[in-house]
Amino acid sequence: MNREGRVTAMLEASALVKRFGTAVALDGFDLSVAAGEIAGLVGHNGAGKTTFARVTAGLVTPDSGLVRVAGMAVTRSRARVRPLLGLAPQELALYPTATARENLYVFAGLYGMRRGEARHRIGQLADALVLGEVLDRRVRDLSGGQQRRLQAATAMLHRPRVLLLDEPTVGADPVTRDALLAAVRAVAADGAAVVYTTHYLPELDTLNATLAVADHGRVVARGDRAELLATVPGRAVVDFDEPPPSVTAPPGSGVEIRREGSRLTITAPEPAAVLAPLLAAHPGAAAHLRAIELRPPTLDDLYRRLVSA
Amino acid sequence: MSLRPGVRLAAEVRHQTILLARDPGPMIGYLVMGLLLIAATRPLYVALDRLTAAPAAAGTDQAAAGMAVMFSLFALKVGAAHLLNERTWHTWDRLRASPAGFGEILAGKALPIFVAVLAQQAVLFGVSAAAFGLHPTAGWPALAACALAWSACVLFLGTGAATLARTPAQLSAAGDIFALLTAVLGGAIVPVDLLPGWLRHVAPASPGYWALDAYHCALTGTPAQLGRPLAVLGVFALAGAAIAALISARLRAPSLSARLRPVR
Repeated sequence: MNREGRVTAMLEASALVKRFGTAVALDGFDLSVAAGEIAGLVGHNGAGKTTFARVTAGLVTPDSGLVRVAGMAVTRSRARVRPLLGLAPQELALYPTATARENLYVFAGLYGMRRGEARHRIGQLADALVLGEVLDRRVRDLSGGQQRRLQAATAMLHRPRVLLLDEPTVGADPVTRDALLAAVRAVAADGAAVVYTTHYLPELDTLNATLAVADHGRVVARGDRAELLATVPGRAVVDFDEPPPSVTAPPGSGVEIRREGSRLTITAPEPAAVLAPLLAAHPGAAAHLRAIELRPPTLDDLYRRLVSA
Repeated sequence: MSLRPGVRLAAEVRHQTILLARDPGPMIGYLVMGLLLIAATRPLYVALDRLTAAPAAAGTDQAAAGMAVMFSLFALKVGAAHLLNERTWHTWDRLRASPAGFGEILAGKALPIFVAVLAQQAVLFGVSAAAFGLHPTAGWPALAACALAWSACVLFLGTGAATLARTPAQLSAAGDIFALLTAVLGGAIVPVDLLPGWLRHVAPASPGYWALDAYHCALTGTPAQLGRPLAVLGVFALAGAAIAALISARLRAPSLSARLRPVR
């Protein structure tokens, strides 16, 4: 899969800029997502994630830059692009007085699906998203998690080629989340490019998603999770039953050593490689060793590192 | 799939009909109030006719036509509220992001409301005919033509109101004032001839005036007399459509649409 390739990208945003008054929502936002790829888009509130989704959906016109879907510019080919897009916005956007089934039917109809075709697809999605028992209940009577799943279903009904999910699991319980993530994986396996915006970084592991970190209106890191994680130092947490030896890291080594009470925390690209000679050099301390825990870098660590940088 | 406007329109019409049916209270209320007021005000208008030596049936005509005009204006609020709901429920952006064009979306939402307003007038005139002997001298088709033209006016005015209002409270207040003003100026409550002079002068500026004129022509005149009021109602409808289209075009500009999002 060529994640950054111009030829295979189903969704390609380049140099997007969008200002709302003096606030800069997008400031040179670049993102390419290939068919079949799930791109996890993370970033703090106001990083530009939602504005990017709205620009891609044609709801906001960028001041400059371009979004292409299947090679077509969103701003110039709206009528041809819209059938290819599925959007589940951050806020719930459903008809509360209508039933779940009625909500699904209207969105199916808006995407040109005939009644029989829609009925079949609604059945599939109801099974996948565990909505079968609530299809004939009014949306206002559904739980928050059920509403979230329903909203995602309305975006997936017409088998979009690009699926934009903006924080779809906010407030969702674990069962809801699992069902939704499985459905998203299925959509991607079907060949869709998925942009999955979230604050819950472990979800990206479940989705086997690539990562895009947004900060101040631009993507500051993009790529495979493992490759990006390899750039983040891991930690070794060493507990002693007395104060740890007083050791310092050589300047410029990229190693950080911190003492807190009886704990020594070593942050380094390969903390185990630092710890072994350290203990060898302090045999007295080694005798008082109580526990060693090696903590590989997490997506949270990566995110904090990128955003703080 | 984008080449199926019929499917999209049918889906939108079906859905809007469901939404109207789920919340029938306001429409039923405006229908019942209309019927009650026809029954309550008819003796007053009949007595007034005796004083002015008008034909005996004119009192019934005034009551039925006046209430039909006034309560269709109130029903306008129901339609406008349904359009406004799309924004408060955040579904408006979902509709805009779909392949459905702006005109398709508005048409899909407006058609069921148009039918509801027509049905309201049909019931008001039908009950007046059955209970009070109302009989349009120009014929029922002429009366139906008036109802169609007036409903179209009401629809376009409601569309404009819905796109301008930002909150249900704004819509409710502005809708009440507009409905009452248009009805009073049109002579729906007090016949225009009995209004104060300054109101009589501005009355023709109200679409309600021409609706009442059209209804009176259908009820007591001939089909030939309908030409002028129906033409004026047509102009009002076109003007309303133009305003709605203008507002719609501005709403299609995403930045303005974002600014018009409801205050939460």
